[in-house]
Amino acid sequence: MTCPVNGPRAISEFAYGGEIRPMPDPTTCSDDAWADYIFNRNGSPGVKREWWCHTPSNTWFVAERDTARDVVLRTYLYAEES
Amino acid sequence: MSAITFENVSHTPRAGVKGPGAAAWLAALDLPVPRAPNSWLPLPGGLIARLGLTEFLVEGSEAAKLAAPLAPGVYPVLRQDTALVLHGARLNELLLETCSVDFRALDLSTRPVVLTSMVGVGATVIPGEEGGMPCCHIWCDSTYGEWFFETLTDVAGELTQSSQPRHQGATS
Repeated sequence: MTCPVNGPRAISEFAYGGEIRPMPDPTTCSDDAWADYIFNRNGSPGVKREWWCHTPSNTWFVAERDTARDVVLRTYLYAEES
Repeated sequence: MSAITFENVSHTPRAGVKGPGAAAWLAALDLPVPRAPNSWLPLPGGLIARLGLTEFLVEGSEAAKLAAPLAPGVYPVLRQDTALVLHGARLNELLLETCSVDFRALDLSTRPVVLTSMVGVGATVIPGEEGGMPCCHIWCDSTYGEWFFETLTDVAGELTQSSQPRHQGATS
């Protein structure tokens, strides 16, 4: 995997942080919507935006990964998102 | 003769800062600021390294400058590292055995800083050359220091043994 700051590294240097999911406003959303956000995860295969961390430098970044093929398509810092 | 020598330089003064205002704050202290992430610059009796985008490590007597009052957007980083300097003809073999970065592929003229995992421990490495032989400066969390040092010296010992001529024992 390629860290946007440190370059290509062995996958053993990275930690998975979960799929990026927009958080609903807990003060206005329904209990069902909040429970869905807290407890449910989307396990269907496809291209997903995920949090990953390069652990030696503690660099968190975004990876677009095709979970059906386990292929990382792109990595970038969250601030660089276009 | 050992193939790789180890020097423990953990006692050297060092300090760190991070944050969006760190680069400007260091420049205001009359310290040279490495422009590229993961690069370093020499200081009188030490160095300054840029770790990633907005974190800095200063080692040597100039580290005392970081005791100045912090500016907004600058945060102190506790540096209680185990710091080692390794030197020897077979150093690259040691690095190849203990981490996944090929240091021979790096251009030393760009003064690279490598943040990687060595024997499972997060480490900051500055590779160099001294007297025609490879050397490197390594920092890691001091809580791993003893194990880190012992593991590297074990690997270095195996490299030393493998470089010495084998003595044939008596055959039956």
